[in-house]
Amino acid sequence: MTFAAAPIPDSPLARRNPTVKLAVLFVVSVALLFVLDPVTPTAIYLLGLSGVLLAGRLPGRTVLRAQLPFWAFAFGVFSVNVLSRPGTVLWQEGLLRVTVEGLTVGAALAARTLAIGILAVGFVLTTDSLRLMTSLHQNARLPARPSYALMAGYRLLQLLPGEWSAIRAAQAVRAPLRGDGTVRAGPSAFGRAAFALLVLAIRRGERMAQSLESRGLGLAPRTVWHPVRLRAADLVFAGAVLGVLGAVIGAAGMLGLLAGPGVLF
Amino acid sequence: MTPTGTAPAPARRSAPTGSPFAWQLKDIMLVVVFGAVFGFLYWALVQGWIALSVATGPFGDLTQHVLLGGWLIVAPIAIAIIRRPFAGIVAEVIASVIEVVFLGSAVGPLLFVAAGIQGIGSELPFALTRYRRYGWLVYALSGLCGAGLVFFYSAFRSGWYGTDLLLVRLAIQLVSGVVLGGLLAKVVVDALARTGVVDGFAIGRARFGA
Repeated sequence: MTFAAAPIPDSPLARRNPTVKLAVLFVVSVALLFVLDPVTPTAIYLLGLSGVLLAGRLPGRTVLRAQLPFWAFAFGVFSVNVLSRPGTVLWQEGLLRVTVEGLTVGAALAARTLAIGILAVGFVLTTDSLRLMTSLHQNARLPARPSYALMAGYRLLQLLPGEWSAIRAAQAVRAPLRGDGTVRAGPSAFGRAAFALLVLAIRRGERMAQSLESRGLGLAPRTVWHPVRLRAADLVFAGAVLGVLGAVIGAAGMLGLLAGPGVLF
Repeated sequence: MTPTGTAPAPARRSAPTGSPFAWQLKDIMLVVVFGAVFGFLYWALVQGWIALSVATGPFGDLTQHVLLGGWLIVAPIAIAIIRRPFAGIVAEVIASVIEVVFLGSAVGPLLFVAAGIQGIGSELPFALTRYRRYGWLVYALSGLCGAGLVFFYSAFRSGWYGTDLLLVRLAIQLVSGVVLGGLLAKVVVDALARTGVVDGFAIGRARFGA
Protein backbone atom coordinates (compact mmCIF):
# COMPACT_ATOMS: atom_id res chain seq x y z
CA MET A 1 0.00 0.00 0.00
CA THR A 2 1.37 3.39 -0.96
CA PHE A 3 0.34 6.98 -1.49
CA ALA A 4 3.10 7.57 -4.04
CA ALA A 5 1.23 8.93 -7.04
CA ALA A 6 1.57 7.11 -10.35
CA PRO A 7 2.90 9.35 -13.13
CA ILE A 8 0.06 11.19 -14.87
CA PRO A 9 -0.18 10.18 -18.57
CA ASP A 10 -0.23 13.05 -21.06
CA SER A 11 -3.68 14.10 -22.29
CA PRO A 12 -5.50 17.36 -23.14
CA LEU A 13 -7.03 17.36 -19.63
CA ALA A 14 -3.70 16.64 -17.93
CA ARG A 15 -2.12 19.63 -19.71
CA ARG A 16 -4.63 22.12 -18.30
CA ASN A 17 -3.62 24.39 -15.44
CA PRO A 18 -4.36 22.59 -12.12
CA THR A 19 -5.70 25.68 -10.36
CA VAL A 20 -8.13 26.33 -13.24
CA LYS A 21 -9.28 22.70 -13.11
CA LEU A 22 -9.81 22.89 -9.33
CA ALA A 23 -11.74 26.16 -9.64
CA VAL A 24 -13.97 24.75 -12.43
CA LEU A 25 -14.65 21.61 -10.37
CA PHE A 26 -15.56 23.80 -7.39
CA VAL A 27 -17.95 26.01 -9.41
CA VAL A 28 -19.72 23.01 -11.00
CA SER A 29 -20.04 21.26 -7.60
CA VAL A 30 -21.55 24.34 -5.94
CA ALA A 31 -23.94 24.92 -8.88
CA LEU A 32 -25.13 21.29 -8.69
CA LEU A 33 -25.89 21.71 -4.96
CA PHE A 34 -28.86 23.85 -5.94
CA VAL A 35 -30.26 21.44 -8.54
CA LEU A 36 -32.71 18.87 -7.19
CA ASP A 37 -34.34 17.18 -10.16
CA PRO A 38 -33.08 13.80 -11.42
CA VAL A 39 -32.68 14.76 -15.12
CA THR A 40 -30.23 17.69 -14.99
CA PRO A 41 -27.52 15.95 -12.89
CA THR A 42 -27.89 12.79 -14.99
CA ALA A 43 -27.22 14.82 -18.15
CA ILE A 44 -24.19 16.45 -16.44
CA TYR A 45 -22.99 13.01 -15.35
CA LEU A 46 -23.15 11.57 -18.89
CA LEU A 47 -21.46 14.65 -20.40
CA GLY A 48 -18.82 14.57 -17.63
CA LEU A 49 -18.18 10.86 -18.15
CA SER A 50 -17.63 11.26 -21.89
CA GLY A 51 -15.53 14.38 -21.34
CA VAL A 52 -13.29 12.64 -18.79
CA LEU A 53 -12.91 9.53 -20.97
CA LEU A 54 -12.14 11.51 -24.18
CA ALA A 55 -10.17 14.54 -22.94
CA GLY A 56 -8.47 12.60 -20.14
CA ARG A 57 -7.63 9.62 -22.41
CA LEU A 58 -8.24 7.34 -19.43
CA PRO A 59 -8.94 3.62 -19.70
CA GLY A 60 -12.61 2.82 -19.01
CA ARG A 61 -11.63 0.23 -16.38
CA THR A 62 -9.67 2.77 -14.32
CA VAL A 63 -12.53 5.28 -14.38
CA LEU A 64 -15.08 2.60 -13.47
CA ARG A 65 -13.00 1.34 -10.55
CA ALA A 66 -12.43 4.89 -9.23
CA GLN A 67 -16.20 5.43 -9.38
CA LEU A 68 -17.16 2.39 -7.29
CA PRO A 69 -17.32 4.29 -3.96
CA PHE A 70 -19.58 6.90 -5.60
CA TRP A 71 -21.96 4.22 -6.85
CA ALA A 72 -22.11 2.69 -3.35
CA PHE A 73 -22.69 6.09 -1.77
CA ALA A 74 -25.30 7.06 -4.38
CA PHE A 75 -27.17 3.82 -3.70
CA GLY A 76 -27.17 4.54 0.06
CA VAL A 77 -28.45 8.11 -0.44
CA PHE A 78 -31.15 6.88 -2.82
CA SER A 79 -32.45 4.09 -0.57
CA VAL A 80 -32.51 6.23 2.59
CA ASN A 81 -34.51 8.92 0.79
CA VAL A 82 -36.93 6.43 -0.72
CA LEU A 83 -37.63 4.93 2.70
CA SER A 84 -37.58 8.00 4.95
CA ARG A 85 -39.10 10.89 2.98
CA PRO A 86 -42.81 11.55 3.70
CA GLY A 87 -45.19 12.26 0.79
CA THR A 88 -47.60 10.50 -1.57
CA VAL A 89 -47.36 6.82 -0.64
CA LEU A 90 -46.73 4.45 -3.54
CA TRP A 91 -46.26 1.26 -1.58
CA GLN A 92 -46.45 0.37 2.11
CA GLU A 93 -45.56 -2.76 4.05
CA GLY A 94 -45.50 -2.37 7.83
CA LEU A 95 -43.02 0.36 8.76
CA LEU A 96 -41.48 0.39 5.28
CA ARG A 97 -43.04 2.77 2.79
CA VAL A 98 -42.03 4.22 -0.55
CA THR A 99 -43.11 7.70 -1.60
CA VAL A 100 -43.08 9.54 -4.94
CA GLU A 101 -41.15 12.43 -3.38
CA GLY A 102 -38.63 9.97 -1.93
CA LEU A 103 -38.05 8.43 -5.35
CA THR A 104 -37.51 11.74 -7.20
CA VAL A 105 -35.40 13.47 -4.54
CA GLY A 106 -33.44 10.25 -3.92
CA ALA A 107 -32.74 9.87 -7.64
CA ALA A 108 -31.73 13.56 -7.89
CA LEU A 109 -29.28 13.25 -4.96
CA ALA A 110 -27.85 9.99 -6.30
CA ALA A 111 -27.37 11.51 -9.77
CA ARG A 112 -25.70 14.56 -8.21
CA THR A 113 -23.33 12.31 -6.24
CA LEU A 114 -22.36 10.55 -9.48
CA ALA A 115 -22.03 13.81 -11.45
CA ILE A 116 -19.73 15.49 -8.90
CA GLY A 117 -17.99 12.13 -8.46
CA ILE A 118 -17.05 11.67 -12.12
CA LEU A 119 -15.65 15.20 -12.32
CA ALA A 120 -13.66 14.67 -9.09
CA VAL A 121 -12.33 11.38 -10.50
CA GLY A 122 -11.36 13.15 -13.73
CA PHE A 123 -9.56 15.82 -11.72
CA VAL A 124 -7.67 13.40 -9.46
CA LEU A 125 -6.64 11.04 -12.28
CA THR A 126 -5.25 13.82 -14.50
CA THR A 127 -3.60 16.10 -11.93
CA ASP A 128 -0.15 15.74 -10.42
CA SER A 129 -0.30 16.75 -6.72
CA LEU A 130 3.01 18.59 -6.66
CA ARG A 131 2.17 20.47 -9.87
CA LEU A 132 -1.11 21.48 -8.25
CA MET A 133 0.67 22.86 -5.18
CA THR A 134 3.16 24.76 -7.38
CA SER A 135 0.26 26.13 -9.38
CA LEU A 136 -1.68 27.15 -6.26
CA HIS A 137 1.43 28.98 -5.05
CA GLN A 138 2.05 30.68 -8.42
CA ASN A 139 -1.41 31.19 -9.94
CA ALA A 140 -3.61 31.36 -6.82
CA ARG A 141 -1.04 33.31 -4.73
CA LEU A 142 -0.99 30.81 -1.88
CA PRO A 143 1.91 32.07 0.31
CA ALA A 144 5.22 30.20 0.09
CA ARG A 145 5.33 28.88 3.65
CA PRO A 146 2.02 26.96 3.63
CA SER A 147 2.66 25.79 0.04
CA TYR A 148 6.01 24.23 0.81
CA ALA A 149 4.86 22.97 4.21
CA LEU A 150 2.07 21.12 2.38
CA MET A 151 4.51 19.67 -0.15
CA ALA A 152 6.74 18.48 2.70
CA GLY A 153 3.62 17.07 4.33
CA TYR A 154 2.94 15.12 1.15
CA ARG A 155 6.36 13.49 1.47
CA LEU A 156 5.58 12.69 5.12
CA LEU A 157 2.26 11.17 4.08
CA GLN A 158 4.04 8.84 1.65
CA LEU A 159 6.28 7.60 4.48
CA LEU A 160 3.42 6.99 6.95
CA PRO A 161 2.31 3.53 5.71
CA GLY A 162 5.88 2.25 6.20
CA GLU A 163 6.09 3.79 9.68
CA TRP A 164 2.68 2.35 10.52
CA SER A 165 3.72 -1.22 9.71
CA ALA A 166 7.00 -0.74 11.60
CA ILE A 167 5.11 0.43 14.71
CA ARG A 168 2.58 -2.41 14.44
CA ALA A 169 5.39 -4.93 14.03
CA ALA A 170 7.32 -3.53 17.00
CA GLN A 171 4.21 -3.65 19.19
CA ALA A 172 3.37 -7.19 18.02
CA VAL A 173 6.83 -8.39 19.03
CA ARG A 174 6.46 -7.09 22.58
CA ALA A 175 2.74 -7.48 23.23
CA PRO A 176 1.35 -10.54 25.03
CA LEU A 177 -0.28 -12.95 22.57
CA ARG A 178 -3.80 -14.36 22.63
CA GLY A 179 -4.41 -17.84 23.98
CA ASP A 180 -4.12 -19.36 20.49
CA GLY A 181 -0.79 -17.65 19.84
CA THR A 182 -2.05 -14.95 17.45
CA VAL A 183 -1.31 -11.23 17.74
CA ARG A 184 -3.93 -9.08 19.46
CA ALA A 185 -5.51 -6.62 17.06
CA GLY A 186 -8.37 -4.54 18.40
CA PRO A 187 -9.37 -0.92 18.82
CA SER A 188 -6.90 -0.43 21.68
CA ALA A 189 -3.99 -1.79 19.61
CA PHE A 190 -5.07 0.55 16.79
CA GLY A 191 -5.22 3.48 19.23
CA ARG A 192 -1.76 2.81 20.66
CA ALA A 193 -0.21 2.53 17.21
CA ALA A 194 -2.02 5.68 16.07
CA PHE A 195 -0.68 7.65 19.04
CA ALA A 196 2.88 6.43 18.43
CA LEU A 197 2.52 7.45 14.78
CA LEU A 198 1.29 10.91 15.81
CA VAL A 199 4.24 11.49 18.17
CA LEU A 200 6.72 10.30 15.55
CA ALA A 201 5.18 12.54 12.89
CA ILE A 202 5.23 15.61 15.17
CA ARG A 203 8.95 15.09 15.84
CA ARG A 204 9.63 14.70 12.14
CA GLY A 205 7.50 17.75 11.31
CA GLU A 206 9.52 19.91 13.69
CA ARG A 207 12.75 18.77 12.02
CA MET A 208 11.23 19.45 8.58
CA ALA A 209 10.27 22.98 9.66
CA GLN A 210 13.83 23.61 10.82
CA SER A 211 15.34 22.36 7.58
CA LEU A 212 12.89 24.38 5.46
CA GLU A 213 13.76 27.50 7.43
CA SER A 214 17.50 26.84 7.27
CA ARG A 215 17.14 26.68 3.48
CA GLY A 216 15.66 30.17 3.51
CA LEU A 217 11.97 29.41 3.02
CA GLY A 218 9.93 32.58 3.42
CA LEU A 219 12.53 34.99 2.03
CA ALA A 220 11.49 37.15 -0.91
CA PRO A 221 11.82 37.31 -3.86
CA ARG A 222 11.57 33.61 -4.71
CA THR A 223 12.03 31.73 -7.91
CA VAL A 224 10.05 28.59 -8.68
CA TRP A 225 11.32 25.28 -9.96
CA HIS A 226 9.16 23.83 -12.79
CA PRO A 227 6.89 26.87 -13.08
CA VAL A 228 3.25 26.20 -14.06
CA ARG A 229 1.84 28.73 -16.52
CA LEU A 230 -1.64 29.93 -17.24
CA ARG A 231 -2.33 29.58 -20.99
CA ALA A 232 -5.12 30.73 -23.28
CA ALA A 233 -6.22 27.09 -23.65
CA ASP A 234 -6.92 26.98 -19.89
CA LEU A 235 -9.36 29.87 -20.17
CA VAL A 236 -11.00 28.25 -23.22
CA PHE A 237 -11.35 25.03 -21.17
CA ALA A 238 -12.94 26.86 -18.23
CA GLY A 239 -15.28 28.79 -20.55
CA ALA A 240 -16.31 25.61 -22.41
CA VAL A 241 -17.09 23.59 -19.24
CA LEU A 242 -19.02 26.40 -17.58
CA GLY A 243 -20.81 27.14 -20.88
CA VAL A 244 -21.96 23.52 -21.17
CA LEU A 245 -23.11 23.58 -17.53
CA GLY A 246 -25.09 26.78 -18.14
CA ALA A 247 -26.59 25.38 -21.36
CA VAL A 248 -27.73 22.14 -19.65
CA ILE A 249 -29.29 23.98 -16.71
CA GLY A 250 -30.88 26.52 -19.07
CA ALA A 251 -32.31 23.79 -21.32
CA ALA A 252 -33.68 21.91 -18.29
CA GLY A 253 -35.28 25.14 -17.10
CA MET A 254 -36.94 25.79 -20.49
CA LEU A 255 -38.24 22.22 -20.66
CA GLY A 256 -39.69 22.65 -17.17
CA LEU A 257 -37.59 19.82 -15.74
CA LEU A 258 -35.43 21.90 -13.42
CA ALA A 259 -36.17 21.81 -9.67
CA GLY A 260 -34.44 23.69 -6.87
CA PRO A 261 -33.90 23.05 -3.12
CA GLY A 262 -37.59 23.91 -2.54
CA VAL A 263 -38.59 20.27 -3.16
CA LEU A 264 -36.76 19.22 0.02
CA PHE A 265 -39.12 20.95 2.40
CA MET B 1 15.76 43.33 -1.72
CA THR B 2 18.65 44.34 0.54
CA PRO B 3 22.11 43.06 -0.40
CA THR B 4 22.97 39.68 1.06
CA GLY B 5 24.65 39.82 4.43
CA THR B 6 23.10 43.11 5.54
CA ALA B 7 19.47 41.98 5.41
CA PRO B 8 17.96 42.36 8.89
CA ALA B 9 16.30 39.24 10.19
CA PRO B 10 12.53 39.63 9.73
CA ALA B 11 11.22 40.53 13.15
CA ARG B 12 8.04 38.50 12.76
CA ARG B 13 9.96 35.26 12.80
CA SER B 14 12.61 36.05 15.40
CA ALA B 15 10.18 36.55 18.28
CA PRO B 16 8.53 33.25 19.24
CA THR B 17 6.10 34.91 21.62
CA GLY B 18 5.28 37.91 19.39
CA SER B 19 1.93 38.66 17.80
CA PRO B 20 -0.55 35.79 18.10
CA PHE B 21 -1.35 36.25 14.39
CA ALA B 22 2.24 35.75 13.19
CA TRP B 23 2.60 32.03 12.73
CA GLN B 24 5.97 30.39 12.93
CA LEU B 25 6.85 27.90 10.23
CA LYS B 26 6.87 25.07 12.78
CA ASP B 27 3.29 25.94 13.74
CA ILE B 28 2.21 25.67 10.08
CA MET B 29 4.19 22.45 9.76
CA LEU B 30 2.52 21.02 12.90
CA VAL B 31 -0.91 21.68 11.44
CA VAL B 32 0.14 20.02 8.17
CA VAL B 33 1.46 17.03 10.15
CA PHE B 34 -1.90 16.68 11.93
CA GLY B 35 -3.67 16.82 8.58
CA ALA B 36 -1.39 14.13 7.15
CA VAL B 37 -1.54 11.78 10.15
CA PHE B 38 -5.30 12.06 10.67
CA GLY B 39 -5.85 11.81 6.92
CA PHE B 40 -3.86 8.57 6.95
CA LEU B 41 -5.68 7.20 10.02
CA TYR B 42 -9.09 7.98 8.49
CA TRP B 43 -7.95 6.28 5.33
CA ALA B 44 -6.95 3.20 7.37
CA LEU B 45 -10.23 3.30 9.33
CA VAL B 46 -12.35 3.78 6.23
CA GLN B 47 -11.08 0.50 4.81
CA GLY B 48 -12.90 -1.33 7.61
CA TRP B 49 -15.68 1.20 7.65
CA ILE B 50 -16.88 0.51 4.12
CA ALA B 51 -17.53 -3.11 5.13
CA LEU B 52 -19.71 -1.97 8.07
CA SER B 53 -21.54 0.49 5.80
CA VAL B 54 -22.33 -2.21 3.28
CA ALA B 55 -23.35 -4.65 6.03
CA THR B 56 -25.95 -2.21 7.42
CA GLY B 57 -27.47 -1.80 3.95
CA PRO B 58 -29.57 1.31 3.29
CA PHE B 59 -28.78 2.60 6.77
CA GLY B 60 -25.04 2.60 6.08
CA ASP B 61 -25.60 6.27 5.39
CA LEU B 62 -26.89 6.66 8.96
CA THR B 63 -24.24 4.58 10.73
CA GLN B 64 -21.54 6.81 9.22
CA HIS B 65 -22.77 9.65 11.45
CA VAL B 66 -21.41 7.83 14.48
CA LEU B 67 -17.87 8.63 13.39
CA LEU B 68 -18.62 12.23 12.37
CA GLY B 69 -16.85 13.64 15.43
CA GLY B 70 -13.62 12.09 14.20
CA TRP B 71 -13.49 14.69 11.42
CA LEU B 72 -13.63 17.49 14.01
CA ILE B 73 -10.80 16.37 16.28
CA VAL B 74 -8.00 18.14 14.38
CA ALA B 75 -9.28 21.62 15.26
CA PRO B 76 -9.30 21.43 19.10
CA ILE B 77 -5.95 19.60 19.13
CA ALA B 78 -4.34 22.29 16.96
CA ILE B 79 -5.87 25.12 19.01
CA ALA B 80 -4.78 23.64 22.34
CA ILE B 81 -1.19 23.19 21.18
CA ILE B 82 -0.63 26.31 19.04
CA ARG B 83 -2.98 28.68 20.93
CA ARG B 84 -3.31 31.21 18.12
CA PRO B 85 -6.49 32.70 16.64
CA PHE B 86 -7.74 30.80 13.56
CA ALA B 87 -5.62 27.72 14.40
CA GLY B 88 -8.71 25.50 14.34
CA ILE B 89 -10.01 26.83 11.02
CA VAL B 90 -6.57 26.64 9.41
CA ALA B 91 -6.09 23.09 10.75
CA GLU B 92 -9.43 21.89 9.35
CA VAL B 93 -8.90 23.53 5.96
CA ILE B 94 -5.34 22.20 5.61
CA ALA B 95 -6.52 18.72 6.59
CA SER B 96 -9.20 18.94 3.89
CA VAL B 97 -6.63 20.11 1.32
CA ILE B 98 -4.51 17.04 2.15
CA GLU B 99 -7.55 14.78 1.79
CA VAL B 100 -8.65 16.26 -1.53
CA VAL B 101 -5.28 16.96 -3.16
CA PHE B 102 -3.11 14.12 -1.93
CA LEU B 103 -5.53 11.40 -0.86
CA GLY B 104 -8.07 12.04 -3.64
CA SER B 105 -11.13 12.35 -1.38
CA ALA B 106 -14.45 11.46 -2.96
CA VAL B 107 -16.16 14.67 -1.87
CA GLY B 108 -13.99 16.93 -4.01
CA PRO B 109 -13.44 20.63 -3.32
CA LEU B 110 -16.79 20.97 -1.53
CA LEU B 111 -14.89 19.45 1.41
CA PHE B 112 -13.07 22.80 1.82
CA VAL B 113 -16.41 24.46 2.57
CA ALA B 114 -17.43 21.82 5.13
CA ALA B 115 -13.97 22.02 6.74
CA GLY B 116 -14.17 25.80 7.06
CA ILE B 117 -17.60 25.62 8.72
CA GLN B 118 -16.46 22.85 11.09
CA GLY B 119 -13.37 24.88 11.97
CA ILE B 120 -15.45 27.97 12.80
CA GLY B 121 -17.76 25.92 15.03
CA SER B 122 -14.96 24.11 16.83
CA GLU B 123 -12.96 27.27 17.34
CA LEU B 124 -15.80 29.40 18.72
CA PRO B 125 -15.75 28.14 22.37
CA PHE B 126 -11.95 28.48 22.57
CA ALA B 127 -12.09 31.97 21.05
CA LEU B 128 -14.72 33.00 23.62
CA THR B 129 -12.29 32.10 26.43
CA ARG B 130 -9.65 34.14 24.55
CA TYR B 131 -7.58 30.96 24.12
CA ARG B 132 -6.93 30.76 27.88
CA ARG B 133 -9.06 27.91 29.18
CA TYR B 134 -8.61 24.29 28.21
CA GLY B 135 -10.93 22.36 30.52
CA TRP B 136 -13.21 19.43 29.68
CA LEU B 137 -16.20 21.74 29.25
CA VAL B 138 -14.56 23.92 26.60
CA TYR B 139 -13.53 20.85 24.61
CA ALA B 140 -17.02 19.38 24.86
CA LEU B 141 -18.60 22.66 23.70
CA SER B 142 -16.08 22.81 20.87
CA GLY B 143 -17.17 19.39 19.60
CA LEU B 144 -20.83 20.33 20.05
CA CYS B 145 -20.54 23.62 18.11
CA GLY B 146 -18.42 22.06 15.36
CA ALA B 147 -20.92 19.25 14.80
CA GLY B 148 -23.93 21.54 15.20
CA LEU B 149 -22.76 24.21 12.76
CA VAL B 150 -21.73 21.86 9.98
CA PHE B 151 -24.96 19.90 10.33
CA PHE B 152 -27.00 22.59 8.55
CA TYR B 153 -24.61 22.58 5.62
CA SER B 154 -24.46 18.75 5.39
CA ALA B 155 -28.24 18.53 5.68
CA PHE B 156 -28.60 20.89 2.73
CA ARG B 157 -25.87 19.20 0.69
CA SER B 158 -27.22 15.69 1.28
CA GLY B 159 -30.92 16.60 1.21
CA TRP B 160 -31.76 15.52 4.76
CA TYR B 161 -34.29 18.31 5.24
CA GLY B 162 -37.85 17.06 5.00
CA THR B 163 -37.02 13.43 5.85
CA ASP B 164 -38.19 11.57 8.95
CA LEU B 165 -34.64 11.02 10.12
CA LEU B 166 -33.52 14.66 10.38
CA LEU B 167 -33.60 14.85 14.19
CA VAL B 168 -32.15 11.36 14.61
CA ARG B 169 -29.23 12.43 12.42
CA LEU B 170 -28.75 15.66 14.39
CA ALA B 171 -28.74 13.79 17.72
CA ILE B 172 -26.21 11.16 16.57
CA GLN B 173 -23.94 13.81 15.11
CA LEU B 174 -24.02 16.04 18.20
CA VAL B 175 -23.19 13.14 20.53
CA SER B 176 -20.42 12.01 18.21
CA GLY B 177 -19.11 15.58 18.03
CA VAL B 178 -18.94 15.94 21.83
CA VAL B 179 -17.30 12.53 22.38
CA LEU B 180 -14.96 12.10 19.39
CA GLY B 181 -14.52 15.73 18.36
CA GLY B 182 -14.27 17.21 21.85
CA LEU B 183 -13.48 14.93 24.81
CA LEU B 184 -11.21 12.61 22.84
CA ALA B 185 -9.23 15.68 21.69
CA LYS B 186 -8.46 16.55 25.33
CA VAL B 187 -7.30 13.00 25.99
CA VAL B 188 -4.96 13.19 22.97
CA VAL B 189 -3.65 16.68 23.83
CA ASP B 190 -2.93 15.73 27.46
CA ALA B 191 -1.18 12.55 26.35
CA LEU B 192 0.91 14.50 23.80
CA ALA B 193 1.85 17.07 26.46
CA ARG B 194 3.02 14.26 28.77
CA THR B 195 5.35 12.85 26.09
CA GLY B 196 7.07 16.21 25.76
CA VAL B 197 6.95 16.37 21.94
CA VAL B 198 4.93 19.59 21.99
CA ASP B 199 7.01 21.39 24.62
CA GLY B 200 8.40 23.69 21.92
CA PHE B 201 4.93 25.05 21.13
CA ALA B 202 2.64 27.47 22.97
CA ILE B 203 1.22 24.66 25.14
CA GLY B 204 4.73 23.91 26.45
CA ARG B 205 5.47 27.58 27.07
CA ALA B 206 2.23 27.88 29.04
CA ARG B 207 3.08 24.74 31.00
CA PHE B 208 6.54 25.87 32.04
CA GLY B 209 5.45 29.46 32.57
CA ALA B 210 7.92 30.84 30.01
